[in-house]
Amino acid sequence: MRNFLVRTFGSVVAVSLLVIVVNTTVPGTVLAMDQHTWTDQEKSILRSLWIGSLGPLPVDPSNRYSDNPKAAALGRKLFFEDHFSGNMKVSCATCHREDYFFTDNLPLSHGMDTTPRRSMPLIGVAYNSWFFWDGRTDSLWSQALGPIENKREHGISRTMSAYIISKYYRKEYEEIFGPLPDFMEDTLPQHARPALDDPDALKAWVLMTPVQREEVNKVYVNMGKSIAAFVRTILPQPSPFDRYVEQIMAGESLRSRMALTDDEAAGLRLFIGKAKCTNCHNGPMFTNGDFHNLGLSQKEKGEPDKGRAAAITQVLSSEFNCLSKHSDAEPNDCPELRFIDTSHKKYVGAFKTPTLRSVTDRPPYMHAGQFATVREVLEFYRSEAQNPELGHGDLSDKELEQLEAFLHALSSPLTGLLVEAK
Amino acid sequence: MKRMLIIVGVMFFLLAGCAAKEEQTAGHMEGMAEGHSQGEVMEGMAEGHGHGDVKVTKHFDESLTKLTDNKLYSLELVVPEKYMKMGVNTIEIIVHHATGGDVAQADITVTPWMPSMGHGVMQKPVVTERGGGLYSVDNVVLSMTGHWQLQVKVAKEGKEDSVVFDFPEVKAMGHEHAMMHAPPPKDLDYATMKMTASDAFSVMYKSIGGQVRINRIHSWELTVKDAEGHPVNNAEITIVGDMPEHGHGLPTQPEVTGMGMEGLYRVDGMKFQMPGWWVVTISVMANGIQDNVSFNLNVM
Repeated sequence: MRNFLVRTFGSVVAVSLLVIVVNTTVPGTVLAMDQHTWTDQEKSILRSLWIGSLGPLPVDPSNRYSDNPKAAALGRKLFFEDHFSGNMKVSCATCHREDYFFTDNLPLSHGMDTTPRRSMPLIGVAYNSWFFWDGRTDSLWSQALGPIENKREHGISRTMSAYIISKYYRKEYEEIFGPLPDFMEDTLPQHARPALDDPDALKAWVLMTPVQREEVNKVYVNMGKSIAAFVRTILPQPSPFDRYVEQIMAGESLRSRMALTDDEAAGLRLFIGKAKCTNCHNGPMFTNGDFHNLGLSQKEKGEPDKGRAAAITQVLSSEFNCLSKHSDAEPNDCPELRFIDTSHKKYVGAFKTPTLRSVTDRPPYMHAGQFATVREVLEFYRSEAQNPELGHGDLSDKELEQLEAFLHALSSPLTGLLVEAK
Repeated sequence: MKRMLIIVGVMFFLLAGCAAKEEQTAGHMEGMAEGHSQGEVMEGMAEGHGHGDVKVTKHFDESLTKLTDNKLYSLELVVPEKYMKMGVNTIEIIVHHATGGDVAQADITVTPWMPSMGHGVMQKPVVTERGGGLYSVDNVVLSMTGHWQLQVKVAKEGKEDSVVFDFPEVKAMGHEHAMMHAPPPKDLDYATMKMTASDAFSVMYKSIGGQVRINRIHSWELTVKDAEGHPVNNAEITIVGDMPEHGHGLPTQPEVTGMGMEGLYRVDGMKFQMPGWWVVTISVMANGIQDNVSFNLNVM
């Protein structure tokens, strides 16, 4: 009896297998043609992700030099300047490598020392409202100043920065920002900054005269504004995905001409549909700019990284925020800061959604480089299918492959001052 | 052979049926409240009366009852459909004296808490007294799935006591996981003008500068009128955004400013950071009446 059941069951399986095979082969060709057919609603989503929807660079009202070409040219030099570091070896470009989409290939970035997080890609960074993984600054120029005085990154101070500018970049600086005071090595303390983590530097800063402090701050802020003027020119070029959207909008239907393969298009369909990736990766930069806790493990031992939760008071109390005296913005020009969500608990362990443009060209992934490959990231999201905020549907291996294929189609070379200068 | 196939088929059918039934029952239980000290609530549910030596007549058959920690009050918690869900919930609480009798005019505070995550929610539940010891609690927002607790504090005439109701597994939008990612109900009402829940006010919203768009800080204009259609200019208004499918709110804290005329209010700092179904709940407090209304939006 038992044998018979097994045999019967076996034949049922065999029959149903046959049905499956028939189902996937014959209508499969039809499916491939349908792969490039999109409903009006899907088309509007595709359009919203298209690089053409990016619009002009947003004005940064807090930085009146942000579109000043001379400031950007100076910023480009400062970006690659090794002198701005405790060991004369670290520049912005150390962790934001030009040959690596302006990030680096390390799980945790390394300047003077190893930092607790991964370097952020700078592609299209000017379209953000908040900067760093936790959004602890609200402008690109104030972001640029953070690492300079961070012990693990550049490890110098604003006084040293002002001194270097006055010594090596005086002419360029004065052309943009006006007269620069003489910062003499013997009158200006080398390491002075209003730092709570360095009592000696804090003491030196407090002992400076108010006029000196003001002068140093001004140069330091202008340095940040120059670097920001350069960094905001780092932009993505159209990717195969963008060309594909243009084809779809133009009514192209010849399959052989499509900029995406069938698998890539299937991945795109999952991306905007079943897999719900556009919940967070939306808009032409493929990010909503918001902060989410994915429940990722933390590699480094020690205090848990609170992410956005710790950054809320930091940005509100920052001496360089949009409402500070160093900002060029009117109070009404700072809506993000004005309406900042201060519900600390909501953001414990939350980090910013990063852009996906050129994502497959710049592993590793996540805020602390938790995953070495895109595939691992996709596997992680699949494993989190029961989490409502991360729910990406019940994805098969094949679908994961298609999603990965689509992500490759977001690659494109960069454009910007750097490229143009060559 | 053919007969065997049928038998196998029937067996499969039966097995599948059983599994489905089990799942349903389990789903039903998981979201239900459990006593903080095991057994207490179950006893309350089964018996309908009595906690040891205390006699209380329950108002509802299907409610959850608990004594407050210092045994001052006995609380009945009525959860619609018997389970709390992720998103916005409305519950009812009946407060009895531990010695029997309803407690009116008490100050009730309800605080949702997620013990495993160590956080609560930004949105404050709104308690309205309905008389006869009955209090309705609106806007109980559980921001994610998982283990939640509701702390209910009762204060009257300087005597304060509280108790915690435990919800070990709050799920999204229903019992089954399959529901979790379900699209919004098909017949969702996207009206931009509605009466508040108790018909005290009419509220109309419009997005200033055209259609609501994702990821942009923008402003809304509200028009608030009373039930007779007269503009209400002196209201205190709060606004909360929520994504029922994902269990989180707006990425901003909007501000409401009264224009002082024609029942107009301006809401600055609105921002939606995810596409899809949003529920924006506007609570209006004016002339001693508190009422609220929820609008559905499909953000693209």
